[in-house]
Amino acid sequence: MPLRPDRSYKGNVHILVVEDEQKMAKALQEGLEADEYSVQVAYTGEEGFYLIQARPFDLVILDVMLPGRDGFEILATLRSRGIKTPVLLLTSRDTLEDRVRGLDTGADDYLVKPFAFPELLARTRALLRRARPGGSQRFKLADLEMNVAQRSVLRAGQPIELTAREFELLEYLFAEQGRVVSREMLARDIWKETSRQTPLDNVIDAQMARLRRKLDGQFERKLLHTVRGVGFVLREEDGS
Amino acid sequence: MGLRPTHVRTRLTLWYVSVLASLLILAWAGTCALLFWQLRSQLDHFSIQEIETVEGLFFFTPDGQLGVREDYHNHPESKEVIERFLEVRSPDGTVLFRNERLGNRALGGDPFPGEGIGGYSERSAPLSDGTRVRLVSRVHTLDGHPLLIRLAHSEEPLFSQLKELLLASLVVLPLVLVVAWISGYGLARRALSPIEQMARRAQEITPDKLDARLPNDDTDDELGQLARVFNQTLARLEQAFEQLRRFTSDASHELRTPLAMIRSVGEVGLQKDGTRAEYRDIIGSMLEEVNRLTSLIDNLLTISRADSGHIQLHRTVVPVIALAREAAGLLEILMEEKSLRLVLEGDEHAQVEGDCLFLRQALVNILHNAVKYSPVGEAISVRVRNGDANQVTIEIQDRGPGVPSEDHGRIFDRFYRVDKARWRESGGAGLGLSIAKWAVEAHGGSIGLTSEPNKGCTFRISLPSARAEAPALRRNGQKEAQT
Repeated sequence: MPLRPDRSYKGNVHILVVEDEQKMAKALQEGLEADEYSVQVAYTGEEGFYLIQARPFDLVILDVMLPGRDGFEILATLRSRGIKTPVLLLTSRDTLEDRVRGLDTGADDYLVKPFAFPELLARTRALLRRARPGGSQRFKLADLEMNVAQRSVLRAGQPIELTAREFELLEYLFAEQGRVVSREMLARDIWKETSRQTPLDNVIDAQMARLRRKLDGQFERKLLHTVRGVGFVLREEDGS
Repeated sequence: MGLRPTHVRTRLTLWYVSVLASLLILAWAGTCALLFWQLRSQLDHFSIQEIETVEGLFFFTPDGQLGVREDYHNHPESKEVIERFLEVRSPDGTVLFRNERLGNRALGGDPFPGEGIGGYSERSAPLSDGTRVRLVSRVHTLDGHPLLIRLAHSEEPLFSQLKELLLASLVVLPLVLVVAWISGYGLARRALSPIEQMARRAQEITPDKLDARLPNDDTDDELGQLARVFNQTLARLEQAFEQLRRFTSDASHELRTPLAMIRSVGEVGLQKDGTRAEYRDIIGSMLEEVNRLTSLIDNLLTISRADSGHIQLHRTVVPVIALAREAAGLLEILMEEKSLRLVLEGDEHAQVEGDCLFLRQALVNILHNAVKYSPVGEAISVRVRNGDANQVTIEIQDRGPGVPSEDHGRIFDRFYRVDKARWRESGGAGLGLSIAKWAVEAHGGSIGLTSEPNKGCTFRISLPSARAEAPALRRNGQKEAQT
């Protein structure tokens, strides 16, 4: 049985990474371990298959392009044996057919390489949780307060006027509080843009700059930070 | 099959010679038959004359025996006379007379009813020893007794003549055919030599040497036509190859630029010990380039899939104004940052049938372009018109620096940028407009640019409107679904 993940006991959550590229596997392992998951790596499909049968995992991150039996085959065999562990497929081919095939075979989610690491973490959390939390109605970070139901945002007790989109953005950042949010995640979840070709980066940057002016403008203590090359994060201290 | 000759000229010659051979054989056989028939009728004619002569030579001896006047033999008039066979029978079949040459061989067997009565009966029949003869019979009345006179000549000379003719033909016919073969083969080779020439030249045409052309394309005959068509195909192919080559070299250049930056930033960063913040900055800078690379590759993938026809359009009826509003809404914040005004006006009922994602992307790309080049505080106008000829036109006008007229043709080319130095800050790889052009053309539309330097650009998109063009589009859609 998958363990109920709890943020304070993430070490109990076991993730299997099946990936033949050693560098990629190592990056995945370290990145996930930094987020306090227990990670095991298999470099071939057969090894991964053996490990899954040997002990239960809470999540399998499975590369599609593997030597020998590829990810689709492994997944199909797992599902045919009644193993229902959530599987996140990684692939470098972004075609609709591949996506459909992956989901048809029984994948729970699908991520196209190259992906932003925060995106992988977000998908991982989503798969372990199986749903976004019903949504906290109140958030607080330092002197920034947000009440979703009342649609109010206060900084140092002073109300801040936000547009609908800015409000949505802040809510998203609060939900991922302390974690980096990539532009791809924002494009997909806030702008509902599925195509990776639409030039949204400028739009997102402009929107973020404006939100930052409103939130942090005259305050000494900055809360909304840009992580260069990765995305944005809402937290008390600048990580650097 | 295995026996089929590989060369067209051999096949042609073979055909030609076999047709000639059968015609010759037919003609020869006809000639032989005619000759044989003529000779035989001559023989018959001669026999009839003979019978008339012979009739007068018969007499009955006093004891009732039939006799022939012997003096006739002393004056043989011709070879035929000597060689004739003569037999006389009574109507009941009793043999009354046979001449010496005939001996005791029967000439024609028992009489058949009506033989020789009221005229001459001619027929061919073999003697008992197998000699083929031509026999004429006639009933002659001598002293009140009817006599059946049969006179025959050997047909053997006829047959031997025929045989000679046949032998001659066996020698002459192959000779004629050999001559026909040689000349036919030469003719075919001469007629087909331009094809061989063309094939040789075509073989030399490789992707590196696509500028070569086939010879003989200046003649008006079938081969000239073939060469012209082939050369036109080659020209198109050459153009496509050239485009592909340019695309590949441009693409690798575009990929190289961010790679070079990643490399130098990384190498420089490793040269000295830095603070944590400096390292973060270096890695961040490298990741920015990685993002640029990623989006570039995504775009290249879209283009290559579009080129190979692997993109399926999911067509629905799309209201154009709403689509334009949506596209503009996406870029609203960028316009606000530059204090640009958007003027969006036009026919609310204009509809096209198409894939709204790709159409929106086309509009977003063009609008994004307009936003990038518009000076602060200006206006961008989008006008939608449900024009004549079932076309919906969308005009997107900016008041930017415009595009020099010599660049109009290339503005939709991949990687093309008007201002090469500025592209990194405005953040594009020069693919947006070419993707827009592809999307519009995939929907059966067209895209064009009018621009004067310093007066801005107007992009004009024409798309078939939804109502009238629906059936044609559906057909088109099926075609795309098959690919």
